[in-house]
Order: sequence, then structure tokens, then C-alpha cells
Amino acid sequence: MTGAEKKIKVLLAKLGLEVHWRGVITVAGMLRDAGMEVIYVGNAFPEQIVKAAIQEDVDVVGISTLGGNHLTQGGELLDIAARSGIKDSTLFLIGGVFPPYDEPRLREIGFDGIFAPGATRGEIVGFIKEAIATRATT
Amino acid sequence: MSQKKQTKEMLKKTTKEILAQKVEKEGRIPLYNPEALQKIREEMEQWKSTVVREEDRNNWYVTPSTILGSQIPRGMLYTPLDNADLDYLRDLGFSGKEPYTRAIHANLYRGRRFTIRQLAGFGGPEDTNKRIRFLLDHGATGVSIIFDLPTIQEYDSDDPMSKGQVGMCGVAIDCVDDMATLFEEVALDKVTVSLVSHYPTNTAILFPMYLEMASRRGIDWSKLTGSVQNDLILECVVRSAVEYIPPRDCFKIQCDNMEFTRKNVPGWNLVTFNGYNLRENGTSAITEMAVATANAIESLDEMVRRGHDVDWVAERIAFFWSPSNDFFEEAARIRAMRRLWYQIMKHRFDAKNPRALWMRCHVQTSGISLFREEPYNNIVRAAYQGLASVLGGAQSVHIDSYDEAYSVPTEEAALVSLRTQQIIQAETAVTEVVDPLGGSFYVEALTDEIEKRILDEVTEIEEMGGMVSAVEKGWLHKKVAKYAIEEQKSIEEGKITIVGHNYLRASDLELPEINVFRYPEGVEERQQEKLRKLRQKRDSRRVEGCLSQLREACQKGENIVPYCLEAAKADATEGELFQVFKEAFGLWKPPIYW
Repeated sequence: MTGAEKKIKVLLAKLGLEVHWRGVITVAGMLRDAGMEVIYVGNAFPEQIVKAAIQEDVDVVGISTLGGNHLTQGGELLDIAARSGIKDSTLFLIGGVFPPYDEPRLREIGFDGIFAPGATRGEIVGFIKEAIATRATT
Repeated sequence: MSQKKQTKEMLKKTTKEILAQKVEKEGRIPLYNPEALQKIREEMEQWKSTVVREEDRNNWYVTPSTILGSQIPRGMLYTPLDNADLDYLRDLGFSGKEPYTRAIHANLYRGRRFTIRQLAGFGGPEDTNKRIRFLLDHGATGVSIIFDLPTIQEYDSDDPMSKGQVGMCGVAIDCVDDMATLFEEVALDKVTVSLVSHYPTNTAILFPMYLEMASRRGIDWSKLTGSVQNDLILECVVRSAVEYIPPRDCFKIQCDNMEFTRKNVPGWNLVTFNGYNLRENGTSAITEMAVATANAIESLDEMVRRGHDVDWVAERIAFFWSPSNDFFEEAARIRAMRRLWYQIMKHRFDAKNPRALWMRCHVQTSGISLFREEPYNNIVRAAYQGLASVLGGAQSVHIDSYDEAYSVPTEEAALVSLRTQQIIQAETAVTEVVDPLGGSFYVEALTDEIEKRILDEVTEIEEMGGMVSAVEKGWLHKKVAKYAIEEQKSIEEGKITIVGHNYLRASDLELPEINVFRYPEGVEERQQEKLRKLRQKRDSRRVEGCLSQLREACQKGENIVPYCLEAAKADATEGELFQVFKEAFGLWKPPIYW
């Protein structure tokens, strides 16, 4: 089976103590409708997220936060992912509310995709499919 | 029949059935006489067939697609035929008089302008204290405090779970000393303070800390005015969390807070039935109000069951709404809710005290309706939402800031919000006339329809066994999740038009270089250091004693708030109290959302 045919598996989580769930559930609905397998774990901390990602063998990890912890805990997540050896094999996405000046920094710490309010189904689904397809061919 | 007994019998019936039985239908005096209505009907038919284009005639009703809207179809033109059975005195009456459709006060804003209450909260208590004083210096008339993620979720700043989140999204408060810093030099006996302690559990922790802080400053509790939120819907449905206590226990704590506050802090609003966050999370103009109403009914039933006089309890409850983009709907909704609440209090609870019949409300403009593209457009959106609320007769208003799709508002953006309110108050003259939309054929028809739909949804909840049952079953979680997903689709498909986002979007759009808020640095370390010192200096045996008494009170089913107050006096921290709740009540797993 080639990568393009395999059902894409996504782990979604609220980052740390962040409280708003509307965004992540909306994205979960979008990805499911687009034929992906979605595992939503609710609130989770970096270590738990990485552990779940390994256990579930997911292609994508998407985290959501509107609470300002995107750099601190987001950074920790990618550090642990790198140490656990899944950073390169997994697509890491972040969605939520963050100031524009933090976006380059989010990229630097290793997020592959950054989705601010207003991001559409087409953008998110398209991004995941394209990135997975690119990985499959390289 | 005693009030208690009567209420018990009533419980078998839905609120709708009670109102159907008790609201008098006989002797109505229609404002419009049948002859005039008949004439209007005939002329209208004539007009429709000769003047109105066929296309418009065939599409007479249009359902507006707006963010968080009600989906109520609208006709092209409204006439007395849409209010054909209007009885002026019974349905509208005068301001400050039953059924309070027009306003709760006779002179409304002439007597007292709506409170300008802007949210503040970020960093440590010393940082937010500066923002509070900035807002008060620029003419804000109330304070509203939002807490950071660990405080909302009830962990201390030095808890491992709080790492990297202290002072974000709100202000970090761990103990009474932090409360003292937060309100330093703020005249608590003059300014009304809203503590946005969303949940019953953290209200039971934070409000006693506030009270103890006031005591330490020598301020008598009878001089304190303000409100807490204290709403189980926020704790069990709207929030995403790591650890939840069960909804039944949460409801019990909500009622404990109400009871304690009513007995001890006479000027304080003991609960703010919060539609706002539920609607923003994803629900319609109607469900927002229906859920808050169902929760209010269930809470008052419990207060009556505990032996309290409903007139005494209900005069201190408040509501909190989220006005969104459908301008007339937003104004009509507040009017509809005022009339419905009056009917419920009068006929279901037999309330007599006028203050207990009032639906008093705070509004905050809709955050979900703000967009990142061309952020200054958000100023216009929020101003319309604020204006609609004032035309609806809200008591207190917060206007969201244009940069909130980016971060916590900057001081500059917060000032624009404040000024927007002041412009409504001081420049537009809308506050001179009470209920200026009253009597509009359109607004009255809309008010009737909204009232009916809210009551229908309240009935749906009651038939499920009430609000707490609806939460336990996951009915509300699912409804909200479904709505949010559908609304996102509608925006993406362009059914809901958002200027500059999916409609007339600039082809060369670039996100602007706007000045965005930066969190103060070093807050986490500062809070942790304060906690370390506190834990050293306080009498730890006394803290232990207070916590074990609290645990016992939780287990015995006593009102827990006096024990929380004792713990606050002993300088116990928020996380320590929450730990007791978790041990005593156990944890709950919320239903799957979708």
C-alpha cells in the first residue's frame, strides 16, 4: 500500500491547561469528513501527547491553544518529540490564537503548519494531504 | 398552599405547561381593532400583487445567515398584522413595570448609565492592578477580572501542570495575598467588581479569598458590590480541562455559593447565569438563553428546597449574554428574555419582590465574530453589537477589542473599546429614550418569536430531566460541537458573509503590522517565589486543619463555602482547595463531543 492510499491518522489535543474547545472540535470534524482517522485526547501535556502519538502511531499531531502557552509548552512538545525520534516522521501542527510576531518562532521550534483563526478546511486538509504525500515520495 | 408544597407539585409540570395554565388569556385588549387589521390585510394583499415584485413575493421570508444567529426567518416588511393580537399593557407595558419588556427601570439609562465594565487580566496581580487603574482613570465604572489558565483550572502557579502558562490569558492568583495586590488602591467600597470566576468550584475558592482580602483591608462586606459567575455550564460543558468533578457536585457547589453569598454579602450578585461562553463556544442566540434559563430555574428550585425565600434569593441573580451580528435580533433577544424571566418568576416561583422579577444582564460583544483580516473592522462590529445591547436595555457592557483575534488586547485597543462605550453614552443620545425600538412591528414580532423559541428549548431540557441531566447525558456537549462544526462550514461556503474575510476580501491582503500585546516577563518565577515564601511563613498546621474540615464538609454535604473561607484566612492556596474537592467528589469524564 502506498502512503497516499493509507488513511491518514491524526492525534488532536488541547495543549496543557488551555480551556477553549470549539476550534479543535471543529478541526476534528473537518479532518474526519475528509476521510482521516482522528483521535482527540482532550487536554494533554507535551510528554503525554508524544507518548500517545507513539502509541497510536499517528501521521499527524495537531495541538490547539488560545491561551498564550504556544511557545513555552509548544517548544517543550517539539523537544520531547525530537528526543523520542518522532519529530521527522510526524507532522506537527498548531492552531489557535497567537500574535503574528510569534509565528516565525513557532516555525523555528519546529511546527510544520501554523493555523490562525480563520484558517479554512481547504487550507488545513490540503496542507496535511500535501505534506504527507510529499513525505511519501521522498 | 405553602410555597414549598406548591413548587413541589409544579415540578411535575414543565415551565411551559405552568405558564400556559397560569398566564391569563381572558380579557386581553388588542391594540389594533379588527376592522383596521382587516383593512390592512386587504390593502396589503393588493399591494403585494401590484407593487411588490414577484421575486420578492415568492421569497418573502429570508433566513439571515449570521454568526451565532437564531435562524428565524424574516419577512420583507412588517406591519400591525405581525402583532395582530398585541395587548399593549399586558405584553409591553411601561418601563420599570410588569412584564418589564421595555426595561427594568422606569428611567433606565437616564437614572443610571450602563456600567462600563472592561475585562482585565494578564501576568501577575501587580501587572493587572496597573491595567485596572488605567481603565478606571479613563472612566471605566466597573472592574472585571479574568484569571489565567492555572487559576481558571484551579492549580497553583508552582504546580508542574502550570508550567509555561502562569499569567497567560488572565491574571495569576494563588492566595489571599495575590488578591490584595490585585486590588491595591482600588476603592472596593465604590467600584463594582466582577470576578470572572467561571466555575462553581473556583468561585468557592476565589470569592472567599476576595472576602478575606476585604476583611484584611477593613472593608465591611456589606459595602462590597459586584458579581461572580459561578456557573456549572461553564465548568462542565464549555471548559476543556484535565480534571473535572461530577456535574451533580458542581451544581451543589453552585448552590452553596449562592446561599453563602446571599447570606453574607448582601450587595453581591451570587450567580451570573452565563450564556456568553456557551454561545461563543458554538450555539445559537436561542440555545444560549434557554440553557441559562433552565439552569436558573433548577438553581432556584434548589434554593427553595433548601428553605429559602425565592424573593430573597432571586433579587441577586444576574445573566450574561453574548450579542453577535444580527442587530435587531440582539436587541429583541434581551427584551424577550426580560419578559420571559418575569413570567417564570411570577408564575412558576410566585415571586413578589420586583427585583426578583428582573432579568438583569451584563453583555460582552462576541469574540468569535472578530476576524484577523483588517482588524480595525472589528471596532465597527463590536460597536454595532454594543449598540444593539444598549437598545435592548443591558445593565452593563463590555466591548471586545479589535486585536483579540491576535492576543490579549493592548492598552491602546482596550482604550478604543472603552471609548466606543463612552461614545454610545455621551454622543449618540440613544440613552435618552427608554426602549426606543418598542412598538416597532418588526422588533415586537421578533421579540415574540424569540421568547417562544427560548421557552420551547427550556421545555426540551426539562423533559430530559433538567439541566444537570442534560449535561450528564452529553446532550449539550454534542449540540454545541455540532453547531460549531456547521457554522464553520457555513463561513467557508460563504453562506455567512464576513467582510474582508470571505466577502470582498482584498486581493492583495496582508496581515497588518498591528501593535500586539506582549505578556510581561518573569511572572511564573515571581508567583512561584511568592508561594515559596507563603508556604514558609504560614501556619501549616492550621492550613491542614482547615483543609481536613473542608474535606469533611464536602463529604457530609454541608455548605462548603464557610470552610473555604476559613482556609482562605489560613492562607491556603487555590490548588490545595481544589485537591480537596477532587478527593472528596471524585473525577468525572465528560461525554464524547462528536
